[in-house]
Amino acid sequence: MLEKLDRFNETVSRWAASIGFAAVVFMVILTSLDVAGSKLFLLPVPGSLDMVMLAQLIGISFAAAMTLRQDRHVSVDFFVMLLPKRPRAVIDLVVQALCLGLFLIITWRLFDHGYYLQTGEERTPTAAIPMAPFAYAAALAMVPVCLVLLQQLLSAILRVARNDP
Amino acid sequence: MTPETVGIVGIAALLFLFLIKVPIAFAMAIVGFVGFAWLGDIDPALSVLSQDLFDTFSSYPLSVIPMFILMGSFAYASGISERLFTATYNWVGHLRGGLTIATVLACAGFAAICGSTAATAATMGRIALPEMKKYKYDDTLATGTVAAAGTLGILIPPSTVFIVYGILVEESIGKLFVAGIVPGIILSLMFVAVVVIVCGRNPALGPPGPASTWREKLNATKGIIEAVILFILAIGGLMLGWFSPTQAGAIGAAGAIVIGLARRKLTWKNFVEAGKDGLLTSCMVLFIIAGAIVFGHFMAVSKIPFLLADWVGSLPIPKLAIVGVILFIYFLGGFFMDSMALIVVTIPIFFPVVQKLGFDPIWFGVMIVLLGEMGVITPPVGVNVFVIKGIAPEVPLHLIFKGIFPFLYALILLATAVLFFPQIATWLPSLVKY
Repeated sequence: MLEKLDRFNETVSRWAASIGFAAVVFMVILTSLDVAGSKLFLLPVPGSLDMVMLAQLIGISFAAAMTLRQDRHVSVDFFVMLLPKRPRAVIDLVVQALCLGLFLIITWRLFDHGYYLQTGEERTPTAAIPMAPFAYAAALAMVPVCLVLLQQLLSAILRVARNDP
Repeated sequence: MTPETVGIVGIAALLFLFLIKVPIAFAMAIVGFVGFAWLGDIDPALSVLSQDLFDTFSSYPLSVIPMFILMGSFAYASGISERLFTATYNWVGHLRGGLTIATVLACAGFAAICGSTAATAATMGRIALPEMKKYKYDDTLATGTVAAAGTLGILIPPSTVFIVYGILVEESIGKLFVAGIVPGIILSLMFVAVVVIVCGRNPALGPPGPASTWREKLNATKGIIEAVILFILAIGGLMLGWFSPTQAGAIGAAGAIVIGLARRKLTWKNFVEAGKDGLLTSCMVLFIIAGAIVFGHFMAVSKIPFLLADWVGSLPIPKLAIVGVILFIYFLGGFFMDSMALIVVTIPIFFPVVQKLGFDPIWFGVMIVLLGEMGVITPPVGVNVFVIKGIAPEVPLHLIFKGIFPFLYALILLATAVLFFPQIATWLPSLVKY
């Protein structure tokens, strides 16, 4: 069961990271074109700042699940590593539960924020691009993060229950 | 409970979450959210959490971070790091300890296009360590040199730590970059001096390699011209006010891609791998900033930073002693935390104090970057040492830590010099007029 969830999470995270990658490459190309256009031909790309902002939102949000899976987040690891295996597994369980709780709230509130932007018809300052779809996309990108954390929580519960970390 | 008490409990809770290995970004968001809800109400706290995350991820000023991180990733994928090492090796490889001197200089060169200590150490470690092994260099000297020289990544511009610090304290990123140049050059030369002294005392640690002909030297030097052009274009353009920081980073990243394509080094696979690696690093950094912003909101409503600033400002002891204590806290914190995370966590608390005492934020930025550099090579949490251990698993960890000590003394010496002679850091930025 956990292996299936792991495979599913790997596939979803990889796809999400690819979307994020496309978004940041778009940021680089767009900004370079904007610089070249404005400095060489006095012709900047209209609304480029807005598009960069939104592309970054998509890029970072969609990379979140893979960042978590690859354990790229910085943590302080000098105390837990000194503990015996069982207390370490119990602490891991608590940590995963806390993080899952945090991301469930973030996901819910980002959907809520999207709804707020949608009802308020909020748009970006210069290009007037509707912001709500991007907030919904960011919220959607947090769902795989929750799934990865759920998998890690279940794994921690099993390790504690089996007493075999 | 008074807001101040809640603030103190919040800081204690944050330290506890760090201790049980909650990722730093998430720990700050959790404590910030709970503390804000405690002092206010749950609804504003929920709004702050999502709003801060949304605003951070969609912030145009913060887009400078992925741009410069991608610049470093693409520069590595384009083979710039290899050519830097070849060039420096051809010039100094025949000297006693020449390969380690070449490594220090190549790290300084790569630091000029990459803003991360771990990336600089990993990149140069993969290239230099096998060469040093081939020429029978001492493992302690070889690994210690790469780990220590990698720290130049956050001092010589571009620097992700300067970028994040600049954003947090609302200081010019361009001026901070300029401030890192003189200390960066001095530190590179001090590291070279360390190698010369160590190998002078015991020549067996770093035997000289074969000498290169002038033709080989000049050919190797041609290979780094594009790296110099890339630095001048991106960082020079930023310093001269041609580009905003985000634009400079984008030009640097695009330039690295163009160099890779022109040199036929950048395959589609390399490009995607490097880009995704840069993206995941950027994601990690932006999550830390978002967490710090949530935590900062909690700190603001608890009034702790302002009370601390007022209290410290009224203490009847010299200002330099107070700032010395703050810097010592950074030094100690560096033993346990990554430099970026340490700065993000502590700036909301300590920066108002430093401001109240009237110290130059540019100088303070350079000081905490120097202390951050010490943090990434000192035990128990020396990120660069772990990176090198990953590249050279056969070298015991304690030997790598032993190898960094001569370089750590050089870092302490420079930090002390900058503490008493701030002009080392502030002179060059004072010439920048924008």
